[in-house]
Amino acid sequence: MTEEAIAVEGLTKVFHVPFHRKAIVAVRDLNLRVGPGEVYGLLGPNGSGKSTTLKIILGLVSPTHGRTKIFGRDSSLVESREAVGFLPENPYFYRFLTGEETLRFFGKLCRLTGSRLNDRVRELLELVGLTNARDQRLSTYSKGMLQRIGLAQALVNEPKLVVLDEPTAGVDPAGSRAIRNIIADLRQRGITVLLSSHLLTQVQEICDRVGILARGVLVREGHLEELIAIENRTELVLENASDALMKEIEKLAANSNAKLVERRRSTTTLERLFLDATKRNDETEMSKPEEMTKSE
Amino acid sequence: MDSSHRLFSFQRILAIAANTLTELTRQKVFYVLLIFALVLIGSSVFMARFSFQQEFQIMKDISLGAMSIFSSLLAIVATARLIPQDVDDRTIYTILAKAVPRFEYLLGKLLGVLLLLAISVVLMSALFIVVLYVREQTVVSETLRQMSRAPREQMDNALNAVRAAGLNIDILAGVAVIYLKACLLAALTLFVSTFATTNIFTVVVMVFVYFIGHLQSTAREYWLEQQTTGWLTRAFLALVALIFPDLQAFNLVDEIVAGVAIPLALLANTALLGIFYIGIYTLAATFVFYGKEL
Repeated sequence: MTEEAIAVEGLTKVFHVPFHRKAIVAVRDLNLRVGPGEVYGLLGPNGSGKSTTLKIILGLVSPTHGRTKIFGRDSSLVESREAVGFLPENPYFYRFLTGEETLRFFGKLCRLTGSRLNDRVRELLELVGLTNARDQRLSTYSKGMLQRIGLAQALVNEPKLVVLDEPTAGVDPAGSRAIRNIIADLRQRGITVLLSSHLLTQVQEICDRVGILARGVLVREGHLEELIAIENRTELVLENASDALMKEIEKLAANSNAKLVERRRSTTTLERLFLDATKRNDETEMSKPEEMTKSE
Repeated sequence: MDSSHRLFSFQRILAIAANTLTELTRQKVFYVLLIFALVLIGSSVFMARFSFQQEFQIMKDISLGAMSIFSSLLAIVATARLIPQDVDDRTIYTILAKAVPRFEYLLGKLLGVLLLLAISVVLMSALFIVVLYVREQTVVSETLRQMSRAPREQMDNALNAVRAAGLNIDILAGVAVIYLKACLLAALTLFVSTFATTNIFTVVVMVFVYFIGHLQSTAREYWLEQQTTGWLTRAFLALVALIFPDLQAFNLVDEIVAGVAIPLALLANTALLGIFYIGIYTLAATFVFYGKEL
């Protein structure tokens, strides 16, 4: 039997407020399983218990009840994190270090040395597109660059499980696209990804399965396609369909007691429009000096 | 990747220590404190004096005092912000989410501060020794010039008196104890910062600890001399002595200034006491830190 990448059983976390009698239940009786190689999205509004769940899985916070396992090993054991990478929400890291120094530091924590460390740092800088910014201090990095260096440090030990807390929050569309591409690449390589987010469209694009948390309770869970499918409806996307063909389809539908609910032109996404527009603009900007040289 | 996990890895501790040292040396506060101390030590040569004994005493008093205060201040200020800063920046999550045991993280942080303190104390000592040596050589030259016609024995006695009052091995013992006291304060600050919510809180607590630590031995002696001291007072004093380090035990400046030789046994006892305190505080910090919800 294949071992689950993550297994959460009956997890409850209660935070006691000092000097007050009240307690806050952050997570209530949560059961969760993430298979190896799966991209699992933990969704929910702010304060729904997503980050607490991730922290418990990573052994940073202890559960009040229940237990969590990573590849069969109890999360409270340090060795369970041997093959884990984590990117917290809004990380700043050590601002006094450069991008390369940051990766070197995290590499050393994973006991990488010598040429292996050098190679890994070079690969990761390339993967996250920060080779040119390798000698810049993190204090000069933009939010998107910080997220990408954060993702790189999470991958430094070639993990089998990557946990990402709001990986694209606050990042511009191009940066967000780059991060999602990296996540898609991780899936291709069979790496399990557990991510939390409240950016639903992005999650929809990259996750195999999702769980929705509300006030610490898992209210829905399953394969994305199953969860969002409307059972009695079917979509057809046609290219170069003539009016005559459309009328024919509508007539066929009416004859078989089906109802045409909506007919509209296909659209692109706002994100794709934005990326195309900014890419073209960047290309124009980049070609300007050359044009000026020619005119001179 | 080496997949076998090691419960203890000196490489990981060194990585954290080196990173902590880099962090601290890239902060302005380190240079400001160090420059203040160096200026004070350097300027001790210009203090008023009536005889070379007084001059050397004043130089030792000011320099060792400056080293003690600045290394203590640096130990507290530098250590207080390490953990809260890592929590604020969420860097602590990325470190501890890897296979890094919490005690290694703490040891790495402490080792980084101890290295910084070692660098600071070495720099301050080097300047102090150079200044004292230069002044001693000047006084020796002046003595030789003034006593050029005096009998050999008298001249030797005078030179011996100058050398005895100047640079001697006891200064190194004093410096070692000052370093030990700073290390102790760093370990205690690290312990306080494991349960403190802000670094301001840690610094304030440590300032109180610093004063209590220096005053407690005097207070203890006074209370214990009183005939009427009851068991409650004694128990309280014992508790204070247990919780707060007796920092006066790490003050050898008066003896060095007075020219009293520091017995090796006293130095060994002080070193053992310091190491004991550092060990206890580090253990306490580890214990609290393991229960800390991040």
